[in-house]
Amino acid sequence: MEPLILALGWVGLYAPLALGAVGSMVGCARAGSAACGALLEVEGGYGRYIGVAAMPSSQTIYGIVVTMALRRELNLDNSPGIFGLGVLAGLALMLSAFAQGSACAASINVSKSKLEVFGISLAPAALVEGFAVFAFVFALVLAAGIPK
Amino acid sequence: MAKQYITLVASLPYLPPFEKAERSPITRLRLEQRLHILEPEDARQLALAEALVSWRLSLAKPKTDKEMVLRCRAALQEINQPALHEFVEFRIDQQTILAALRQRNDQFESSFLEQVTGASRWAGFIASHWDSPDFQLATVYPWIPEARSYIEANDASGLDRLMMRIIWQRLSRIAEGNRFGFEAVFAFVFKWDILQAWLARDAEKAKSRFQELIKEVKHDS
Repeated sequence: MEPLILALGWVGLYAPLALGAVGSMVGCARAGSAACGALLEVEGGYGRYIGVAAMPSSQTIYGIVVTMALRRELNLDNSPGIFGLGVLAGLALMLSAFAQGSACAASINVSKSKLEVFGISLAPAALVEGFAVFAFVFALVLAAGIPK
Repeated sequence: MAKQYITLVASLPYLPPFEKAERSPITRLRLEQRLHILEPEDARQLALAEALVSWRLSLAKPKTDKEMVLRCRAALQEINQPALHEFVEFRIDQQTILAALRQRNDQFESSFLEQVTGASRWAGFIASHWDSPDFQLATVYPWIPEARSYIEANDASGLDRLMMRIIWQRLSRIAEGNRFGFEAVFAFVFKWDILQAWLARDAEKAKSRFQELIKEVKHDS
């Protein structure tokens, strides 16, 4: 039983980074695909579309920070806590990156035909980012309560 | 998970409502270039549907109802993408209802429906409600009374506009169901087709085309 608990601790430790990275890959790919399509249709301002496509990469950064905050010598006391916190934070980051990728793709799709809505069309993506930040910050706060 | 065509959809321009459009935002050539991104099977299904229910059917369209029914049956068997299949069925039903309204307006009998029974699910129902003003289908298709009034008034332009609007709205709803999927792609193609037809309206050309058709019919008989 003890090795299993310790293994779960390792899973929890790496989950925020791994799941956040998976989310960023998918999210950036979705938004990036839309940006590539939009490049065929617009005459200029390509940078803004590629910039928007990079938005879902922030979840990987949050994942790195959470993983670093959870990092400690694993034992039977702290492994269950690290598992719960790490996996849930990772899932939240991954799903937020998926959703943000879709929101960014929609934003790129509408703003290519109507540039004046570019800013406001990013609001849904920014809202999704806000929820990712909540998950990130509270993971850090709660990580402080896990025994060393 | 449904297939996604994010790059393709994002590469397509915004289509304004056809009644407000002044020009087409994309040419057929460029549209076809973009459609090369489609997977071969999806492209094939789209081509089948286009040959059957696009607004401007090609000149190689079937000459008889029977031929048309056979073509419809064969295509419907091959079109297995659910949203596209449903749209094609909707267009066939719509065309059957319009044909029935026209035939009845011209004092013909319902016998032609026997030939199209295999294509439209409503053919038998319409035949059995031939004397009802809207074939008792107005609850399913609320546009029938308005279409009937245009046919009775010989207002072909008004009827065209109504049909285009109904198809446009349906395609918009289909595209909203999967904004970056095959649904959005085929909805764009059929909407573009309507837009082209609307922009190409020309009384003089229509007159000469009508005369060509008359000659063609005379030649055939």
